[in-house]
Amino acid sequence: MAKPDILVIGGGVTGTITAITLAEAGAKVTLVDAGVNAGSDANAGSLHVQMQSRFMRLYPDQVPNVEAALPFYRAAAEEWVKLDAALGGVELVRKGGLMLAETADQLAFLEKKAAREAAKGLSVELLDRVSLDRIAPWLGPQIVGAELCRDEGKLNPLLANRLLKRRAEAAGVTRLTDRVTQLRMTSHDVEIDTPDATLHADQVVIAAAWGSGDLVNAFSVTLPTRAEPLHMNITEPGAPVINHLVQHAERSITLKQFSSGQIVIGGGWPATSQGSHAPPTVRHDSMLQNVALAARLAPAISSLKVIRTWAGMNTTIDGASVIGPLPYTKRIIMAIPGDAGYTLGPLVGRMAAQIAMDAPTDFDAGPFSPARFAN
Amino acid sequence: MTKITFTFQGHAITAKTGQSLAAALTKAGHRNFRETAKSAERGMFCGMGVCQDCLVTVDGKPNVRACMSPAKDGMTVTRQVPFPAFTGSAPPPSDPLHLTPDVLVIGGGAGGLSAAIAAAKAGARVVILDERKVAGGQYYKQSADGSVLDAQQGDGADLVAAAVASGAEILSGVEIWGAFDPLLFLAQQGETPIIARPNMAIVATGAYERPVMVPGWTLPGVMTTGAAQTLWRSYGTLPGQRVAICGSGPLNLQVALELTRGGAEIVRLADRASHPATRPLAALAMAVSGPMLTLKGLKMELALRRMGVAVRSACDLTGVAKQDGALAATFQGAGGDEETVTVDALCMNAGFEPQNEILRLLGAKMHYDTKMGHLRCQTDPTMQTSVSGLYAVGDCKGLGGAPAARVEGTIAGAHAAAASGFGDAYDLHGAQRALTRHRRFQSRLWRLYDIAPRGVAALSGDTPICRCEELTLDDIQVGLDDRPGHAGTLKRATRVGMGRCQGRYCGPVVARMVAETTGKPIEDLSFFAPRVPIKPVAISAILAAQEALDGEA
Repeated sequence: MAKPDILVIGGGVTGTITAITLAEAGAKVTLVDAGVNAGSDANAGSLHVQMQSRFMRLYPDQVPNVEAALPFYRAAAEEWVKLDAALGGVELVRKGGLMLAETADQLAFLEKKAAREAAKGLSVELLDRVSLDRIAPWLGPQIVGAELCRDEGKLNPLLANRLLKRRAEAAGVTRLTDRVTQLRMTSHDVEIDTPDATLHADQVVIAAAWGSGDLVNAFSVTLPTRAEPLHMNITEPGAPVINHLVQHAERSITLKQFSSGQIVIGGGWPATSQGSHAPPTVRHDSMLQNVALAARLAPAISSLKVIRTWAGMNTTIDGASVIGPLPYTKRIIMAIPGDAGYTLGPLVGRMAAQIAMDAPTDFDAGPFSPARFAN
Repeated sequence: MTKITFTFQGHAITAKTGQSLAAALTKAGHRNFRETAKSAERGMFCGMGVCQDCLVTVDGKPNVRACMSPAKDGMTVTRQVPFPAFTGSAPPPSDPLHLTPDVLVIGGGAGGLSAAIAAAKAGARVVILDERKVAGGQYYKQSADGSVLDAQQGDGADLVAAAVASGAEILSGVEIWGAFDPLLFLAQQGETPIIARPNMAIVATGAYERPVMVPGWTLPGVMTTGAAQTLWRSYGTLPGQRVAICGSGPLNLQVALELTRGGAEIVRLADRASHPATRPLAALAMAVSGPMLTLKGLKMELALRRMGVAVRSACDLTGVAKQDGALAATFQGAGGDEETVTVDALCMNAGFEPQNEILRLLGAKMHYDTKMGHLRCQTDPTMQTSVSGLYAVGDCKGLGGAPAARVEGTIAGAHAAAASGFGDAYDLHGAQRALTRHRRFQSRLWRLYDIAPRGVAALSGDTPICRCEELTLDDIQVGLDDRPGHAGTLKRATRVGMGRCQGRYCGPVVARMVAETTGKPIEDLSFFAPRVPIKPVAISAILAAQEALDGEA
């Protein structure tokens, strides 16, 4: 293989966007993806913008970083809107996201949260039950109100991933299925080991989500990337009635209906990891509790059948994304969304490409510098 | 038997009590049950609750499988639309059934019933969960009204009676949708959630039929040979007046004879294999290992011939099309000669696929059987799988036929009971020897037929592969060009296998496509990853199961 200008590690939405951006700007790009079933193209298609109650509960120490990055989430959703147009349609629907409250306490929590989010420029509004009935008449009787975040939405990830892959091919990106095990600096480039080969590139972009931490250990950076195996349920198709991305003020759930008519239920229920190189397996308690919760919030869906489940990987770090060159090794550039990787991926990927080209970034990358993890 | 009346698309339909909706509709000449997202017509295909294609809307409730649901007086049945309105409400809580038997048997066919009898006789508490309304399985296929058509059904009735007499409890109409480590099974019987935590589990889920994939095989009126047999044997309904049968294997022959005797006209009985008479050595080998069954086969062929039905050997289906309310089925002979026949129903069986979902989910070791073209579950001589306490018998572990399933059931039942502290599973030498004999016969029998799965090259690009997502071979090929690595990646690239049948028909083809492209041999991991639910399960049922499990604590 001829030596590429830039080698991108990770073929998920982030790495693919990086590769497309660079290749379309004229660079010779190779993209290496390990082809692990759980990652890369195992996505659920939610566009998250408001602070997820699940995340706030599980990782309270990371909340300040998430809150600071709210404008970044909003910009990332905008980036998807542009991408939807550029790719010719990925069934993106941006009717907003509803975070439901079942008690007065939960509604009070949402009210405070909404105020914090409005201060960061998000388009949010608190809805009472009467207003909710107009836009979501399928909700259970116990729902007292909700926060509506108009920036949120959903899209068809299978379609988007397929179109992105075509776009990368059209841009001349070379794609390899292999697992990068180690990176080394030489005097003039980066050396990349895989089990089968040693590759060279002038620059490397690491968009390997939870696998990124291990790759940069050798460069005096301790990146706490953590894989979070998550569970998803998919129903048979029904008439289109659920327009919003639905979440809950206290409990873990996302619920949305795709244009296929199918309802996707997930939102952070754990799956069982089978190690970094195999897809996680489904836990019965996650399936039962996740779906049961959905049935209580939206009783109308209870006649539909769940036809499949799957588990994929979310990646968490410290609440903020990691974008930019390594502190002492400028040839290696990180591109890792801090959470909600599919939402942030296009913007993170694009910014990483801009950094690699020494171009100004669409969004201030300062707060996302890997320097914060330097030993 | 009392008569009932219901309506379909406003037409009054008369049926007998106990008849399935699919049978009643077929009898009335209605074969188009639903419209797909791409505006295609679908009807009953598998006849056994696997393909999920015969969905109708009953009294406003969508997604009802016509093949598994009895017709009831006063029902309003309509053709199902692609995106039916869902107007569910939280179901009333129903008392869950908690089962903690010594031995749980999954499947009420030849293997399962035999296993239950052996375990119950040893003194174990045994529960059988069976998906169908009437036990007996696909081989012994019982009639809905208890009448007995022939010796095969009579033997089945005797076996069911023996199971009842043994003290084993048979729960019918049970759909198992969850299997989890360590031996936790979640199921639904009507509105009742079932939570089963057995000491030992014996999986006897049998097999479903491998279709002949050609353009048009998804059309209403095209069905598996077993589906046609169920219509006739269980519900006294012919699949149509003019019928063609294709594929390969003895079931096609048997059903041709049964339908002919029932009054149907078999206009074509085609088998992919060359006639056994052209391979006398192989035929002799089969006759030596199973003289009685060989004789039975010969008698069937002779009887068919007397009624004017000759098996057309080395003849295969190449396509089906709609034609004036009927089907035009085109066949090709060994010499390349093509002929099109007009039929009401086209039956197909080109081998079997084991229903090994529960075994794979629980992690039982499998290997690929190249001759049969499917996975085989590895068991020790006691029929225990690689998973402790999990036994497998019969066709679900790889095709072996009903006689072998019965013996395997007896062995597994005795050993599972002994492992639970009942009896000593002693004196099974006779059973082991019989099993060796049955297996020898099976292997020689199948040498005379042609059920080796077709290579992808033999299929035309417009052949539907994934019924549910409505994808042709060409559609899937595009994904293969993109990323050939694995069935799972191909699934996400093309949606193949994402539908209601959960990849049961397209999965084996996809595994072969990936293997052909990558040059890697087929193994357990070549197939779609096993996942819950084992069958589509209503959200209300999951909610009920969750509440039942909460109640356990």
